[in-house]
Amino acid sequence: MAKWFAKPPSAAPLSEADRAARAKLRVGIPKVLNVWTTHQFWLGFFQALRLSPRNLVFSSDTSDAQMREYGSGRGTVDCCYPVKCVSGHYGELIFGQKRRIDILFSPMIHSLSSFMDGHVMESLACPRVMAAPENIKAGFLRERDVFAENRIAHVAPLVTLAEPKLVPRQLFDALKAVVPGLSIEETARAVEAGFATLAAFTDDLRARSRDILEWCAREGRPCIMVLARPYHMDSGIGHEIEADLQACGYPILWSQYFPTDPDLLDWIFRADLAEGLIRHPFDIDDVWPSSYSANTNEILWGAKVAARVPWITCAIRLGSYECGMDQPTFTPVQQIVERSGTLFFSFQELDSTKPAGSVKIRVETIAYYLECNSPGVMEAKLRHMDGPGPLQTARASAESPG
Amino acid sequence: MNISAKHHFRTYAPAPVTKEQIEHVEILFGGLHWRAEQVLQAVFANMGYNARPLPPAIKDDLLRGRELADIGQCCPTSFTTGNLANFLQGEADRMGASEVSDRYIHVTAGSCGACRFGQYHQSYELALRNIGLDSFRMFLIDQKQPEQGTSAGGGLDINMPLTVGAVWGILCTDVLQGLEYRTRPYEVQAGQTDAVVAECVAYLAEVFRTRPYRGRKWGTVAWHMSTGYFIKALREVFRKFEAIEVDRIRVKPIVKITGEFYLQTVEGDPNYNIHRWLESEGAEVYPAAIAVWLDYLIRCQLQKIEDYVGVEKGARAKLAALKGAQRLFRWSYNRMRAALGDIPFEMPDQYELRRLAAPYFHHRLSGGEGDMLVGKALWAHHKKKAHMICELSPYGCMPNTMSVGAMAGVTGKYPELLYAPIEVKGDAEVHALSRCQMILTEAKKRAIREFVEVMERTGLTPEEAKPLLEARSQMNRATYRIPHTGLAAGMAANTLLHLAGARPARQAP
Repeated sequence: MAKWFAKPPSAAPLSEADRAARAKLRVGIPKVLNVWTTHQFWLGFFQALRLSPRNLVFSSDTSDAQMREYGSGRGTVDCCYPVKCVSGHYGELIFGQKRRIDILFSPMIHSLSSFMDGHVMESLACPRVMAAPENIKAGFLRERDVFAENRIAHVAPLVTLAEPKLVPRQLFDALKAVVPGLSIEETARAVEAGFATLAAFTDDLRARSRDILEWCAREGRPCIMVLARPYHMDSGIGHEIEADLQACGYPILWSQYFPTDPDLLDWIFRADLAEGLIRHPFDIDDVWPSSYSANTNEILWGAKVAARVPWITCAIRLGSYECGMDQPTFTPVQQIVERSGTLFFSFQELDSTKPAGSVKIRVETIAYYLECNSPGVMEAKLRHMDGPGPLQTARASAESPG
Repeated sequence: MNISAKHHFRTYAPAPVTKEQIEHVEILFGGLHWRAEQVLQAVFANMGYNARPLPPAIKDDLLRGRELADIGQCCPTSFTTGNLANFLQGEADRMGASEVSDRYIHVTAGSCGACRFGQYHQSYELALRNIGLDSFRMFLIDQKQPEQGTSAGGGLDINMPLTVGAVWGILCTDVLQGLEYRTRPYEVQAGQTDAVVAECVAYLAEVFRTRPYRGRKWGTVAWHMSTGYFIKALREVFRKFEAIEVDRIRVKPIVKITGEFYLQTVEGDPNYNIHRWLESEGAEVYPAAIAVWLDYLIRCQLQKIEDYVGVEKGARAKLAALKGAQRLFRWSYNRMRAALGDIPFEMPDQYELRRLAAPYFHHRLSGGEGDMLVGKALWAHHKKKAHMICELSPYGCMPNTMSVGAMAGVTGKYPELLYAPIEVKGDAEVHALSRCQMILTEAKKRAIREFVEVMERTGLTPEEAKPLLEARSQMNRATYRIPHTGLAAGMAANTLLHLAGARPARQAP
């Protein structure tokens, strides 16, 4: 009985008119910044609101052409390229669609839902990243209201994904005027659906990363860990450097999607835990006490993992020009990785233009170092580990005839 | 078991400072303007600590900071890192690295981001390592926690009497700074204001050094709120200003300083000495009070709680309690301002700033001055508090560039708002000042135009105003308050309006 009363009130049924209106609603989402690790949340959320998946439009990967054609003259301030290029994404969604969008949905993601929550101070987004929509919007309002001219509603809710309790109201307040018949109860359910979709997607990628690691352990092969921010997955920002390395035969892992299975983490951090250097495998206080930025925290944690897992013989650091969040972490990240004997290479100050020639030379150099040093690195790191870990156990099971 | 995890990298952890050691240790701090630093030194002394502010940061510090820490720093990081490193290096050359590590510790503000401000310590640590002072002890103080207990070893206790003393010291020097900046541009005898201010700061430092002890926690808070001790001291400061003769009919544009905390607060090389430069170019500077920043920090906390009202039990009560604390804070500032004749600049209402900024910048976007930067510009413009906004933003500052970008929407809607966003690199003075001068030229024209309009409105000319002012000798004193009418921003224009209000309007010929 008590449980029955505790149930959230159900939403009023959606009228036919509202249902039909929603089916036609087209939402454009700039594929930028932290949308790269939260896109599944937004897909799950909007689909739960009964918007058609075909009407959820993401902008293309970042490119020079996109910026030239759609974002030129819209910049309001000089800042890092991942934020600056958002103008091009806005422009593409406003001017570059065959079918006009009704809503340009550009969430100001204040904090992120991170697997490290509870073990770090906070999981905030970078101040530039969270404020980017306000900044980019100004470039489309400065001379005249481009959104109004194109009959597009610019919806940029501030969203605290690290505080899920607050999210329904944040999204309801922002969307109630543009999504017909929306109620707070329905928004709350859609938020739950969004988080569930995101979790399912992330779990799937983590499982794939574990498969890669088990394959490396089974075959005695090295792999590479990428330490970067979510938007470096954008081919126009990260310049597909990791893809070039993968083409040399080295599987790639991203720290954001490293498996978080307790058996694996216990094995990786067993000595640190036993010596009281950390309280939990996700604790990074021993290397980075200012743990308030979600993406920075995950990069530092990824560096610790790369330093310990034997088959990760190389870590690649990607950083964008003028990234103030990365700047103080350059030395700690490099130190964490290199002290363990793991190879470390960094591509800093990445900007709009892909330095194709220098990337090619560096990729060849990295591949050469990996070829020469990986066996020694793996052997040395294995010596520091506590017996056969779960990855090697998986290797043994895979090899056993039964 | 693993062989060991000892070979892995670990971050810097300061060695403890014991109660015995602290008696022989000198605490280094910095990052504020000289008035506040001198008074904070006295607050430390009052608590039994031997402290001293680091020397004012200079260009050499900028270069040293860039050399010693990771590339790509914002200029406040470079200045403060280099400042600490240069000072310690000098001392190490004199007495040896080991002696320096024994004799000094550094205390710096830390924060929970969201920008690099919360990570300054990383640059300091790297710089110290690079100059061979790995064992130097540095401690972070959380700027949002009034009570943080003792540091490792128990030597340094960040408790309520120390925090409240520091806040009251800042409030007192803020109002003093406000009075100073409203006086110096109009002083008749050049240099007189500076001399009086130096005397007043020394006097206030003594007042704080001999501050009575009133308990460890709420007793000390209650005493600071209710006592006349600091008000009496500020009245004495006011009496010292009485000696300064001023000529307020000088037409000067008022330039409001906004921007990143460090650059808007310090007065020196880090911001190209822009306060003094603006005055030398004929402006009256409206400085950025630290109290406004503290008020903003309280608002940020309130906003976080506001979001939980209706979501979590007890949020409403917490909100009411913190709102009460904010009112008491503002009341304390206004009480001090009143002790200086209400001449120092007022503290803008945070919720008015939020309302003004709302169409351009979300109030929950954290880092730097956030929406306050936008709100202050609009507040000064709409209420005729200043002719021009000079916004000091460090090159590479993450949050400030966002607020500045949002200002494009503001200037699009209010093209008449004179806004000079100055990107400060620390070593590009001519470029920055020439940019500022372009807008200042327009601000000067605007101040003159405003003055002419007031002359027409009141029928008073400067020549006619002079004898009227001479007849009321108290009006030529720094301690006379010219009311802000809301009709004009400039001091000269408001003086004419004030005089006109005191005499019958002239008949048309």
